Amino acid sequence: MNYITTYCHIALNNCYVNGKLTHSFNSNSIDDFTKEFYKSLILEYPKFHKMDRLAKTAFLGTEVLKKECPEILNYKDDEIAILFSNNNSSALTDVNFQTSYQNGGVPSPSLFVYTLPNILIGEIAIRNKWYGENMFTVAEHFDAEYFVNYCNVLLHKNAAAALCGWLTIDDNKIEAFLFFVTKKDFNELNLPLESKQLIELYTKN
Amino acid sequence: MEALKTKLKQQIIEQLNLEDFSVADIKDDMPLFGEGLGLDSIDALELIVLLENNYNIKLTNPEEGKSVFNSVNSMAEYIVKNRP
Repeated sequence: MNYITTYCHIALNNCYVNGKLTHSFNSNSIDDFTKEFYKSLILEYPKFHKMDRLAKTAFLGTEVLKKECPEILNYKDDEIAILFSNNNSSALTDVNFQTSYQNGGVPSPSLFVYTLPNILIGEIAIRNKWYGENMFTVAEHFDAEYFVNYCNVLLHKNAAAALCGWLTIDDNKIEAFLFFVTKKDFNELNLPLESKQLIELYTKN
Repeated sequence: MEALKTKLKQQIIEQLNLEDFSVADIKDDMPLFGEGLGLDSIDALELIVLLENNYNIKLTNPEEGKSVFNSVNSMAEYIVKNRP
């Protein structure tokens, strides 16, 4: 049996971890919110500011999950898999990149880097030195069964844990649901990795 | 020259999203790469874009980049010499 050891929901100005409000802000914009959120975590990782909104959100979610479930950090580098999914790929950054050269300007290299959604997995892997299996998929809707099946396969093989996430990020919306799946129920939330359970967690804070 | 250096620092901070730095933090002779500002290869490309967009200078010889982007001093000197 595999477990959802810890989970979080991020939306504008709020972050809930395991169903409890842990971070609250009064920012007027998504960019201000991610900046305030980052500052509140007291991290020294200047590269955060260079990331696009998608990567920043995944980064912040991962940091709060790690804090809630530090046991994850005891696993070997290649024992932690990363699975992310969304329904609009890197569309927001794609548009920003296009805008950067549309009016005769030179295309921005730093924006170009983020015109693939799986770059966020690279950012998390580099930050945490997690070099296990990884996958980014684009799907129409949050697909609980996909996460359950994929995690079960990964944890049956070489992975001891999986970081998973579904991200809804666009010009004026930020919503993220991230969770750790492990073989051991570290936080004793008693949340077995099952589709019904995952859908329930996804739809509530 | 001093005004150009200050402007350049502001542009570097803005273009490279160096949120943790202010103009005062960047010394004229501080190495931009390595132990100084800690810029990376993507930042180097952004500096090339910065020169092109703001000063109409195209850096076409990659060999030049290393000396041009050594510090704010070297960038400012290069701009003064090559600005159309």
